[in-house]
Amino acid sequence: MNSENLDILLVEDNKDDMDLTLHALKREKLANHIFVARDGEEALDFLFCRGAFAQRSFEHPPKLVLLDLKLPKVDGMEVLKQVKSDPRTKNIPIVIMTSSKEERDLVSGYNLGANSYIQKPVDFDQFRETVKSIGLYWLVINQPAPVSSLTKAAGQASR
Amino acid sequence: MALVTDSAAVQQIHLPEENRKPEPQIAEHKRIDRSIEARLRGRVTGAFIVAVLLTIFVGFLSWRNARLAADDADWMIHTYAVMDTLELTSKQLIEVETSARTFGLTGQDALRAHYEAAKATIGQHQETLRHLTADNPNQQQRLDMLEPQIRTALEFAEGVVAKRLRLQESPDSRDILESERMMNAVRATAQEIQAEEMRLLSQRTQSTNARRRLTSFIIVAGILVGAVLLALGWLAVNREIDVSAHGREELKVLNASLEQRVEQRTTALQSEIIERQQAKQALARKAEELASSRQALEAQTLMLQSVLDSMTEGLAAVNEQGQFVIWNTAAEKILGMGATDLASPKWTGHYGLFLSDTVTPFPTEELPVLRAIRGDVSTTEMFVRNHRLPQGAWIEVSAGPRKDAHGVICGGVAAFRDITKRKADQREIQKLNDELENRVVQRTAQLETANKELEAFSYSVSHDLRAPLRHISGFSLMLVEEFGSRLDPTAQHYLDRIQSGTKKMGLLVDELLNLARVGRHSLSLRPTKLNSIVTEVTAILEPDTQGRQVEWIIADLPTVECDPILVKQIFQNLLANSLKFTRPRIGAGSSAQAGTHGPEHTVIEISHQVKDGQPVFTVRDNGVGFNMKYVDKLFGVFQRLHSAEEFEGTGIGLVTVQRIVHKHGGRVWAEGEPDKGAAFYFTLGAGNPVELKSTGATAGGQS
Repeated sequence: MNSENLDILLVEDNKDDMDLTLHALKREKLANHIFVARDGEEALDFLFCRGAFAQRSFEHPPKLVLLDLKLPKVDGMEVLKQVKSDPRTKNIPIVIMTSSKEERDLVSGYNLGANSYIQKPVDFDQFRETVKSIGLYWLVINQPAPVSSLTKAAGQASR
Repeated sequence: MALVTDSAAVQQIHLPEENRKPEPQIAEHKRIDRSIEARLRGRVTGAFIVAVLLTIFVGFLSWRNARLAADDADWMIHTYAVMDTLELTSKQLIEVETSARTFGLTGQDALRAHYEAAKATIGQHQETLRHLTADNPNQQQRLDMLEPQIRTALEFAEGVVAKRLRLQESPDSRDILESERMMNAVRATAQEIQAEEMRLLSQRTQSTNARRRLTSFIIVAGILVGAVLLALGWLAVNREIDVSAHGREELKVLNASLEQRVEQRTTALQSEIIERQQAKQALARKAEELASSRQALEAQTLMLQSVLDSMTEGLAAVNEQGQFVIWNTAAEKILGMGATDLASPKWTGHYGLFLSDTVTPFPTEELPVLRAIRGDVSTTEMFVRNHRLPQGAWIEVSAGPRKDAHGVICGGVAAFRDITKRKADQREIQKLNDELENRVVQRTAQLETANKELEAFSYSVSHDLRAPLRHISGFSLMLVEEFGSRLDPTAQHYLDRIQSGTKKMGLLVDELLNLARVGRHSLSLRPTKLNSIVTEVTAILEPDTQGRQVEWIIADLPTVECDPILVKQIFQNLLANSLKFTRPRIGAGSSAQAGTHGPEHTVIEISHQVKDGQPVFTVRDNGVGFNMKYVDKLFGVFQRLHSAEEFEGTGIGLVTVQRIVHKHGGRVWAEGEPDKGAAFYFTLGAGNPVELKSTGATAGGQS
């Protein structure tokens, strides 16, 4: 896997959702490089370049993280919290994509620094539209933060 | 009460006494009149006596002086007579002398006759003189001297005559001288007499004059005095007339007032008599009443006693001095003993009264019945233990001041009951309460847990139920898209049914979650301009108006205190509802003919009016409406008035509206008529209007 030009990290434990999301993303040809983490721990390892992903570098963060909240091991909120509280990862855009529209999830998600909060529509057409809009915005329209400054700070902190 | 009325009656009887005062004015008048009369009588009598005396005196004086004047006149006449006689005597003597001498010289007989005549009268005159001066010895003496001188002169003249006759001789010078000398002597004596008479005359004249002056003076003075007295008398009489006239007037007035008084007095006396009679009657009645009230009192006393004795509550009353005046049977039973004569400080010890800890003696001054004398109303619990009640008992004492008819405290009353059983019950209740409290705490904790579980449930429903639906939807769609060409139309149709089923279920799940969220949602009220919410909602609903002509009539809504998120939900549900049920009103022709207000295009009106000081919001449409007999079903969960084929829906939207309205303390209701339209009304009870604008609806069109 080429993790250097990673477009999206999809954190999703449900295989159906994973397939549908990937299907939608691929159909719109928005992301060629997608990595799927199946639980919170894996997502954190990936983002913090540790464990199985120790060879990864902070210099090549994903352009977007699509984060589900209900995850095995470490839940989505915890992932969000750790990512957004670490200077090396806090600039990575994280979009919460979940079935829940609970107000408390919305509030805590934004409080922890989520860049966006999307409720997955039940209707697949709408779902595809949503995924398309997200991809278009974060991968095409949005200008990500420069990586160089990040990695320097990150390099110091991790070792 | 009876006593009070009696004294009032007595007062009434005595009231007229005040009019019985003596009338001193009249007596005074009488006294004054009497003294004036006496003084006046004295004065008038005195003046009268003086006037009489004066008159007598003046009369007497006049009479006497008249007499004296007459005497004086007599005397003057007398004097003049004396002087005349004397002069006549002297003249005759001179005649005699002269005649004698001339005869002597001439011898003429005529002369001698003359002489003889004269000589004869002298004697007469001499006698007259003697007679006239008989009263005056001095003059008599002088006459005694004069008479011889006259005689001598007459003898001499005789001698001359005789000598002529006899001797024819004439008198010689010596004879003449001699005659002269004799004549002179006579003359001298005569003059003396004359002088004396003159002196007497003058003396008498003087005294007469003096007396006349005195008399005149006396008369004048008398007249003056008389006049003055008369004047005084006139004045006095006049004054008396005035006084008596005045007196008569006064008398009249006095009489009148006296009569009036007599009349008044009579009236007063009559009314007094009537009042006395009335009072007598009243007294008689009072006596009757008194007798009957005494009977009533006795009956009441008996009744009171029986009531007091039949009471289960103890009753004790004290007077101001802290002595018991009432002590009923129950009191004796509850406290174990009767009323005591002991002074109040000893009561606590006597009856064995303790504070709630059952060991501290109850402070005497704080005993409710003694506090009542000081004006306090109190209810106290205390513990009683004495030799009659060795087990002790709990009592509750309620005491308050006793007041007399004037509202002045005249003692205290205490009612007390045995609450030993109640105390035990209370302890039991307390125990039960405590247990209950514990149970409540436990149950609350359980409920909280359950609530959390429910929340977790709804959370997982939201998450877990939606996900498989999405999957069904997603994969069925993918099937259609990717393998549709290879499927026969029936299979495609089934896939379409799967699609619409998942859509419906998604909607249902979303709305159920919404409803659940509304229930959990805590109100956060803030002033909210409702027009902005409505604008937001109409924007959200914009896609549903595609291909239709919709006229929004939105009034100027007030700013109210409410939860904007929930109220937005209300409008969203109601407006979506209206849009849905107006769907048959697609409008005349295309949207290019906007502004055509035909009956066929959709009209949704949002307005408000103030009713009972509260804004009532209305959402009205001209849709298919409903029959009012089904109005109760509108707000029931899953209750629908139309088939899903006609109008899709879950039957949850209006329930959600109702729940939000109720959460605000408001009310929601609906009116409708089939094929005419429906109107939904709601209030936001908790959301009192911050600012109420006029209810004049401002139409704001949007399509």
